[in-house]
Amino acid sequence: MMKRSVAFLFALLLLCSLSGCETMGLGNISQHIGTAMTVVDATSKASRPISDEEEYYVGRAVAAKILGSYQLSNDRELTRYVNLIGRTVALHSDKPFTHGGYHFAVLETNEINAFACPGGTIFITRGMIRTTSNEDELAAVLAHEVVHINKRDGVAAIKSARWTQALTVIGTTAAKNYSPAEVGQLVSLFEGSIDDIFKTLVVNGYSRSQEYAADEGALQLLAKSGYNPGALDSFLKRLAQQGKASGGGILKTHPGTSDRIENISGKAPSGKTSTKAIEARTARFVSIVH
Amino acid sequence: MMKRIVIITMVFLFVATAVLAETVTVITKENTIREYNKFFSPVKAYVKYNDKLEVLSINGDWYKVKFGPSIGYIHKTAVEKRTASSPGLFSRKGSGVSESEAALAGKGFNPQVEASYKSKHPEMKFYLVDNIERFIVPDREVTVFIANGGLVQP
Repeated sequence: MMKRSVAFLFALLLLCSLSGCETMGLGNISQHIGTAMTVVDATSKASRPISDEEEYYVGRAVAAKILGSYQLSNDRELTRYVNLIGRTVALHSDKPFTHGGYHFAVLETNEINAFACPGGTIFITRGMIRTTSNEDELAAVLAHEVVHINKRDGVAAIKSARWTQALTVIGTTAAKNYSPAEVGQLVSLFEGSIDDIFKTLVVNGYSRSQEYAADEGALQLLAKSGYNPGALDSFLKRLAQQGKASGGGILKTHPGTSDRIENISGKAPSGKTSTKAIEARTARFVSIVH
Repeated sequence: MMKRIVIITMVFLFVATAVLAETVTVITKENTIREYNKFFSPVKAYVKYNDKLEVLSINGDWYKVKFGPSIGYIHKTAVEKRTASSPGLFSRKGSGVSESEAALAGKGFNPQVEASYKSKHPEMKFYLVDNIERFIVPDREVTVFIANGGLVQP
């Protein structure tokens, strides 16, 4: 009887330990008993958004397409500077890590523009950099683009019908390697997705609400990073002046600058920046940009 | 006989506990396990995509994890739990990707699809994209840049 009780107690303890793990998620159980593929098969047939890894590959192709229209700068010092500002801001964002990381690059054109490719590659034009008057304003532009990546605005431009079709192909096999026919279908859908995003980034622009949200997010990022959030407002005001003369670029793909200024009015978090810090940032900006 | 039952049960419990320990999977191409829950604290170990980490505890946006003999911290946006369990504890804030979606890692638009796309479009300048990705600013430069500019360490 005693033996039975002890056995029963241990069995009960084991059961409790198993059910306790349920609250932490059953994933590992399925991993260890080899049902992972069942999970994959089941979920692959369901509707799902694009994964981080897929976003990365789409973003690489979008970046390659942009580099077909614009010349990549070889200015290593400026590229390094833009990466230092961009990384600082991105580390304070909601998503400091993406599958392939954040990368910032300069395009040699007088056009005033910046593009956030899905996954983390951000382009800024020489014309845009010249339009900024200090490091804080340059950080404001990069922060705006980082928010587009955080919010996955790029991949949102992929037509839903195209993605649904892609899911059908993806869902037919649990293997990571596809048959030539499946690859053909996926490449065609991949190509279409890249075109959707490219058109949005370069031709049509994001929606007004996406742009406003990116501006508002940029204010928060600037404040968190220690930059002056008011720099976005001062940059937009300068853009309104200089942009009138240049036309095209960001003015073609973004809402009216005066509307953007009005949208962020009163929304900048208060923050104190020491004069010494501003002087240090201005000095390095002037030495690299001008 | 009773001794035997006790030993067997205890061994079984021990194995079950080890097997059922929470794990997360690295979803970035590469990342680091840090000594403290700070971006620039000393590196304890390097991890890469698909590495499995045992979660010991959660400290805000950081998971305290065990990877091989190394114990340290990794940011929550660098990992994902790859199961079909209910979302909650390990879901990533600010991400549109659910746990079950991550189970599809390697599927969909993957290197195989990119390779086919490249061969179909040799004019696309992927080599420049590779150059952009290879342009890495070391952590120590970022920390100096932040300090010199009177900015906030993340």
